[in-house]
Amino acid sequence: MNTSETQMDPTAERKLSLSAHALVLVIICAIGLVGNTVATDIPIADGFVGLIVLYVISMVGLVLTELVPIKLPSVAWISLIGILATLPWTPGSEWIVAQATNVNFLTLATPCLAYAGIAIAKQEIDIAKSSGWKIFIVAVLVMTGTYLGSAFIADLFL
Amino acid sequence: MQRTMEIVLDWRLHVSVLIITIISELIGVIVVPIGIGSILLLPLLYAFILGMLINPNVIKRAGVWIKDSDVSAASPLIVIAIMPFIAKFGTIIGPQMEQIIDAGPALLLQELGNLGTIVIAFPIAVLVLRMGRESIGACFSVAREPNIAIIADKYGLKSQEGTGVMGVYVIGTLFGTFIFAILASLLSTAGIFSIEALAMACGIGSGSMMAACTGALATAVPEMKDQILALAGASNVLTYATGIYLGVFVALPITEKLYDLLGRKDTTIKAGE
Repeated sequence: MNTSETQMDPTAERKLSLSAHALVLVIICAIGLVGNTVATDIPIADGFVGLIVLYVISMVGLVLTELVPIKLPSVAWISLIGILATLPWTPGSEWIVAQATNVNFLTLATPCLAYAGIAIAKQEIDIAKSSGWKIFIVAVLVMTGTYLGSAFIADLFL
Repeated sequence: MQRTMEIVLDWRLHVSVLIITIISELIGVIVVPIGIGSILLLPLLYAFILGMLINPNVIKRAGVWIKDSDVSAASPLIVIAIMPFIAKFGTIIGPQMEQIIDAGPALLLQELGNLGTIVIAFPIAVLVLRMGRESIGACFSVAREPNIAIIADKYGLKSQEGTGVMGVYVIGTLFGTFIFAILASLLSTAGIFSIEALAMACGIGSGSMMAACTGALATAVPEMKDQILALAGASNVLTYATGIYLGVFVALPITEKLYDLLGRKDTTIKAGE
């Protein structure tokens, strides 16, 4: 009984090792480079250097996730490193920004969503079916609520 | 359990993603004008649909190409695949740090706007749809991974509250990118909120939803692209950092109290059947 619960709990996701992350990131960046070249007029060589920069930022973030005792998700560390590396006060930040500019941000999300579409499990479809239309309406309202709520408060204080 | 290397080197999976990426990018952004604004269809949305179409759990006949082992291998790769995107966002935030500090108060306070899930969704779930305690799990947050952890910790995932949070999580996984892309493109063209406010609201605490949301905004208002991405990215980092505390100490207690006020008294009896 208990196994179905742990299987369905998305927070209990299998952990891959750091070296596996390093290898997968190479594949992801290669797919990203193809996407970037298809979607934009940016020469493949420029996109290549840009993706190497993003790869290094991601890896530094992953290493920090392992080393630092404060528990933050790896994406939080990665964005922190990306921010620190490109602050106007950071030496060499102009070069990093210039390289990263050669990668289109929206194209980078495309492979991720392809994996997400392929990853949908049978259980997830079963849950969606059995929860029915009520939970669908509630979910749409939940997402609308967080978006409108944040936009409303932000507008008040801008 | 699959061995790590089988997941990492699942070539059928990676080749599929590569082909889907190329097709999606070749189609490009499509603008669909409707009455109050326009909806932007983005390559990442096509990628998600194409991924589902070759998923044997969705289309049975896709099983000749993608096996069950590929499906389960894809799951841990989602988080890794979003990492270069998150890194790219960091490099957009850094250079604009001064503007972000200027927007600091609005940026911090709009995190409280995530309580909008309780304001809008909860009364309808309880009063109109007559839902029981699953409305607590469903409505206290936007139901991403940290919020599931909160509910799992407090009630267990097999409780009614657990059913609620998992239901919204799954619908969010299946339709979240579409919903946020539609919300962002409609509101950006409707002119009710400022673009900066809409950008901050895109920091939902989910990489793919933020991608859809900012993608729609930045395509609708290309001249403000860098500003949109910087504000959304900063807000998203804040949500990663504050979301769990807002959930545990504010959102969940409020939802519990409201349920005592609004909820049907007979649901507890029904649950005991």
